[in-house]
Amino acid sequence: MSDTSSMLLIGIGGGGSAIARGVRRAFGEGLRYLAVDTDASGSDRADEPFVLIGGDRLSGRGSGGDVVAARLAAEDSISAMDQYLEGVRLAVITTSLGGGTGGGASLEAIKHLSEHGIPSVVFATTPFTFEGEDRQRTARGVMTMIEEAANATFFVPLDKLVGDAETMEDGMRRAVDTMASAVTLFWRLVEKPGYLRLDAERIRHLLAKAGRGRFAAVTMQGPSRAADAVDALTRAPLLATGSGPVRAILCGVLAGDDLRLKEIGEISDGIRAAFGSHAASFELATVNDEETFSGRISVVLLLFEANGKDGSEEKPGGVMSPKRRKKPSGPLGVGPQGRGRFNNAEPTIWNGEDLDIPTFLRRNINLDV
Amino acid sequence: MTDFHAAIEIGTTRTVLAIGEKTADDRLRVTCHAEIPSTGVRKSQILDITQATTSIRSVLHEIERKQTEAGSSIMLGNAFLVVSGQHIKADPFQGMVAIEGAKVGSDEIDTVYRSSRTMQLPKDREFLDVVDQDYEVDALGGISSPNGMSGRILKLNTLQIHADRNRINDARTAAESAKLEIRDPLFAATCAAEAVLESHEKRNGVLVLDIGGGSTGYAAYSDGHLAATGVIGVGGDHVTNDIAHAFQTTNSQAEQLKINEASALIGASPSAPQRVKVPGSSPLIETRTISRRALETVVNARLRELFTVIRETLEDQDLLNRLHSGVVLTGGGAAMRDIDALVSRELAMGARIGRPIHVDGLDGEDFPAAYAAISGALLFASRNYEEKSVIQSILDRFF
Repeated sequence: MSDTSSMLLIGIGGGGSAIARGVRRAFGEGLRYLAVDTDASGSDRADEPFVLIGGDRLSGRGSGGDVVAARLAAEDSISAMDQYLEGVRLAVITTSLGGGTGGGASLEAIKHLSEHGIPSVVFATTPFTFEGEDRQRTARGVMTMIEEAANATFFVPLDKLVGDAETMEDGMRRAVDTMASAVTLFWRLVEKPGYLRLDAERIRHLLAKAGRGRFAAVTMQGPSRAADAVDALTRAPLLATGSGPVRAILCGVLAGDDLRLKEIGEISDGIRAAFGSHAASFELATVNDEETFSGRISVVLLLFEANGKDGSEEKPGGVMSPKRRKKPSGPLGVGPQGRGRFNNAEPTIWNGEDLDIPTFLRRNINLDV
Repeated sequence: MTDFHAAIEIGTTRTVLAIGEKTADDRLRVTCHAEIPSTGVRKSQILDITQATTSIRSVLHEIERKQTEAGSSIMLGNAFLVVSGQHIKADPFQGMVAIEGAKVGSDEIDTVYRSSRTMQLPKDREFLDVVDQDYEVDALGGISSPNGMSGRILKLNTLQIHADRNRINDARTAAESAKLEIRDPLFAATCAAEAVLESHEKRNGVLVLDIGGGSTGYAAYSDGHLAATGVIGVGGDHVTNDIAHAFQTTNSQAEQLKINEASALIGASPSAPQRVKVPGSSPLIETRTISRRALETVVNARLRELFTVIRETLEDQDLLNRLHSGVVLTGGGAAMRDIDALVSRELAMGARIGRPIHVDGLDGEDFPAAYAAISGALLFASRNYEEKSVIQSILDRFF
């Protein structure tokens, strides 16, 4: 058990909590976890940390699919989360959009976390197509706001998660399991030691302004497992949902002690070739966990698009605000300094930053021009 | 003509000159105004006095031309100088006096007033204004009229607004080279507030953001008095500069993109074309297009940052939650599309564009908020300064 883990998994709403519980089951001990819901029935499980929001407003009966009601409920009582936030440096939120609590409360939770200086990464499912335009519209509206508020977002259409499941029950179970296993692998990547280490601080830095992303995870075994994993990822439906070129790649390889250098190279080269022709950044991490992955190899892949979180919400000098200055990775790059017409003027310095330099440069905001 | 004043603002993007007169009902009527693009000014500070002088001469000629067309033939001899720039600071200072007869009388009030005007500045600083805030009698604060109150010590809290003397002198030099005498320098942000605020807004708490080309002045009012003021060295020119860098355009193209296409919010107009045309900077360069979302992203990031700086500045002074009448935007930067919505969201308070409400004569202007500071300066001058002939002889102008 890692009580000192600086990552907190927060499941919001019924769907989000189900995914988070799946992650908790798969990961086992050592995962800091919290369920947040407007529905008091979520608290039946005595063994899980649970925050009921909007108790006075909704009487613990849920939001009835009303995003506004859920948001108000969260405004009323989201600070009840605070008791679980001590030492948290990164929050991973799982939620399901289209209904009330997932959308409305997630947004308030993200803002609340941000006020505590805690960046958030959101894994959210979006409604099935057959659920109708109303729910799709509700989800789309919330997605925009979540995308603006959160540091990194992964929106996954439920249609792409259920595969060939025949019944609704199977489909939902598969969706939850798929999301949960991907998030679990992500969690292991950060929390378990490896030779190419990616700790919470590094992931926090990488995801600080990552914006909208796509993710997929595959597990393979056998002599060609590395090549098979790359092949599977190139065909993964979840990675085919993006709308822009990939600008940043985070690739995690999880295996037992038999992980070979050649396999790491195969995966690295394969991923770069398949997804990274325009990527400005490629981050590879490995986890060696013989007990969990003996004989198998799992690859979790996070891709971030150029036009992801381009409307950066970073505060100047805030906790997630990088002080380094970097050329934008967009096709119309500019000079290294960027003071432009202010070259000869007295600089405006705020929290150690030169505000005469274009904001998008200092915030490393990628522009898909 | 009675109580007749002129004011000039040598801004980063434009030089504006206006003449106004006080009307019988204590309002101001702008009788004539003119503006021309500025040269030699960056971030509200003059970098080239010769170019600034040329700008002032040009705007003088323009206003005289307008006067002539209107059947008048005056030549302007002096004007108040409306100043901004991040060299402007405001410090609290407290005047203090012992209450001799146990009750505050007019003597104590006079003395504490004089005491509050004794703050010393370094030689390179110059006062722009000293603003009375409230009185304290012993430990009791927030008093607007202490006359007759009992106690031992009377204090007067003030805000002392001062500027870099050299920067003011540069403007004086440029103006005098153009044969225009500068009377007093007046601070743009408080002038703008003078023009656009109602007294009840000042009582309820309100923030004025005067967004100029090179800097943004702020003036926060609480309990009826000026509680904090200052300047952030970021203005509309920074938005232009960011656009020029992001899309490799000329400053002129970037300015046009900012004015004609950009919004402070990302994706606020879903029906707008997703691509924005950037005309070639010369006939040999073809028109190209850029992403509207990318353009809005650049603008949004800059303005969000500016408002974050403002928010943190107000939070540091424990003012953010006391501005119940919201924020009022003035200056040319307030013309940016959706900027009121963005500032409202970022500061979590209502927002409006500040049209000068105590001023007549700007009816024909496309965007009167851009004239808030200069009309506020005229208003302030008409209420606080003795009339002085603004007219000079033709001989003075040329010799």
